Amino acid sequence: MFKFSSILAAGLAVGVSVGAQAGTLEDVKKRGSVSCGVSTGLAGFSQKDEKGAWSGLDVDVCKAVAAAVLGDSSKVQYKPLTAKERFTALQSGEIDLLSRNTTWTHTRDTSLGLNFAGVNYYDGQGFMVSNKLGVKSALELDGAAACIQAGTTTELNLADYFRANGMKYTAVTFDTSDQTRSGFESGRCDVLTSDQSQLYAIRIGLKDPDAAVVLPEVISKEPLGPVVRQGDDAWFNIVKWSMSALIEAEFLGVDSANVDKMKDEGKPGQKRLLGTEGDAGEKLGLSADWAYNIVKQVGNYGESFERNVGMDSPLKIARGLNAQWNQGGILYSPPVR
Amino acid sequence: MKKFIPKEAQPAPVETTGIIGWTRENLFSSIPNSIATILILGFLASFLPGVINWIIIDANWSGSTQADCTNDDGACWVFVSAWMQQFIYGSYTDSEIWRINLGLILLGAVIAAPYFLPKHLRNKLGVPMFLLYPFFCAALLDGRLFGLEFVSTDLWGGFSLNIFLAAASIIIAFPLSFLWALGRRSEMPFIRSVCVLLIEFFRGVPVLALFFMGSVMLPLFFPEGTNIDKLLRVWIVLILFMSGYMAEVFRGGFQAIPQGQYEAADSLGLSYWQKTLLIIFPQVIKVSMPNILATFIMLFKNTTFLLIIGIFEILSTTQTALANSSWLGGHAPEGYLFVALVFWVCCFGMSMISANIERKLDTSHRN
Repeated sequence: MFKFSSILAAGLAVGVSVGAQAGTLEDVKKRGSVSCGVSTGLAGFSQKDEKGAWSGLDVDVCKAVAAAVLGDSSKVQYKPLTAKERFTALQSGEIDLLSRNTTWTHTRDTSLGLNFAGVNYYDGQGFMVSNKLGVKSALELDGAAACIQAGTTTELNLADYFRANGMKYTAVTFDTSDQTRSGFESGRCDVLTSDQSQLYAIRIGLKDPDAAVVLPEVISKEPLGPVVRQGDDAWFNIVKWSMSALIEAEFLGVDSANVDKMKDEGKPGQKRLLGTEGDAGEKLGLSADWAYNIVKQVGNYGESFERNVGMDSPLKIARGLNAQWNQGGILYSPPVR
Repeated sequence: MKKFIPKEAQPAPVETTGIIGWTRENLFSSIPNSIATILILGFLASFLPGVINWIIIDANWSGSTQADCTNDDGACWVFVSAWMQQFIYGSYTDSEIWRINLGLILLGAVIAAPYFLPKHLRNKLGVPMFLLYPFFCAALLDGRLFGLEFVSTDLWGGFSLNIFLAAASIIIAFPLSFLWALGRRSEMPFIRSVCVLLIEFFRGVPVLALFFMGSVMLPLFFPEGTNIDKLLRVWIVLILFMSGYMAEVFRGGFQAIPQGQYEAADSLGLSYWQKTLLIIFPQVIKVSMPNILATFIMLFKNTTFLLIIGIFEILSTTQTALANSSWLGGHAPEGYLFVALVFWVCCFGMSMISANIERKLDTSHRN
């Protein structure tokens, strides 16, 4: 019987872990890894490959935080979460950080006890049409049949947009994104509408991706970003500035290839970011090379974007809104000084 | 005297023997029957060649990336083979996969043990082995207790997880549900009402709702910083859910035992537990065997529901694979067919085992 009870006790010890009530930063350092909530699979944002390795734009935020705090971007424990569980997991302390294509809205920010640490992807609802239609703008879509996924805000946004522009449409609704795609492919509708990041993924899944085109109009705002628990400002700052470091590095022209050179020979701004000058790291409670580690191990925002969703990936999403503010986009990081 | 030579028997008319006879008898025995046969054959003829073409002849079998699927008219089995390790083992650390294999082999051993153990050891050794298996296996996969590399439950997944969860749940649920069923038949009002409440709650609430409670609601009740592993929560939910159903299966078994068996045991002076365990329990098991297996198959398939709470069992792994940007070519049919096949093979295998056990146990009530 001794065996039985000791194994049982071990089993319970395996499952139950009581974290200290100290700050998240101390917990993370003690544990030696960042516990990061991601999606169960979304092309380009958080996805698993055949080897079980995680990659994606959202995953890179987790990696950046791990690189800043622990100096090693691989020290991340990924917790795949469904849309319903994500906030509970954060509130209950199961994860330190939620980076799961989560739209920053007023309700979520104010009533869930959460803080959004910034925006790592500006998404918005768009349209995809068949090339044959010869449509150049969404305003030419009067009377069109639209394929949509049922029960999403997509449906409401679409109704708003068509009514605001005095146009009519017929809705053809489907349950999953897979069905929506085959509906579009078999010609049941003229236009497919969804968040733009999804549109590109759906487009690749088509038998002939070149036969379809994504229209330039974006009819809703979907800023996606990492989320942390309210009430731990030190940790909030770390996540916010880890993300800013990705963006600021691109703005300052620092990337994973030239980071070593910039560290010693760069301009003052670059040196301040990389920790050779100033005390940016210390003020966050991190080591001086926090941002150096991020850029060295994860790259800057531009590299991460192109690798995961941009031109170096199968998705081929253009930078658009997600370009730097001086390149026609709205990405803007406060200065590191 | 003329010798009587019997004539050789005439062969049966051609139309009643061989293939022709069989066809006439079974497929074209009447006009409606003939029409049905022709319709079904026509349907199969129009439907099967395309399917077989897609599944086998035109299919893409070799390669390791989506680009190797050059024939668009055939299935892309490369998708399944490239993701095979994920489908079976999840993201479990490569070098530690032997632990999963060992766990599966042990499961087979525990199931096969009663066939090979000598009779006097069967209960003494077989039952404790069975009951200890889930805990031993959990500790083995986790690794810390045995001084092996720690593999956190986030990395567990694939079809092996479906098997382990189903097996570990049913093994614990078995004794638990037996107790609940006994409690429901008990004459002690408190025990009876508690058992009725438990059984009816876990039988009456959909398993999906229970999973959501376990994954979304439960964590909010614990003090902040206390985390019970998600997989452990789900395991407990599965055990309780299974116990609710099994308890009713056992209750049916109890009712099938003739009253005379109880009275005979009482008249021999056996105590309550002696009576229950030595006289009633073996008969209940025998009577309930088909239902126990049916419930188990149901639970086994229910483990795929875990996909809605983000645990990477096989179906969820398939969906993750479909969402990978390197595999966005619409491989859903291949993926889901593979999952269906895997489950069908396992469930059919279990049916065969159960039929075998039933034949072995079939001892009585035949005069």
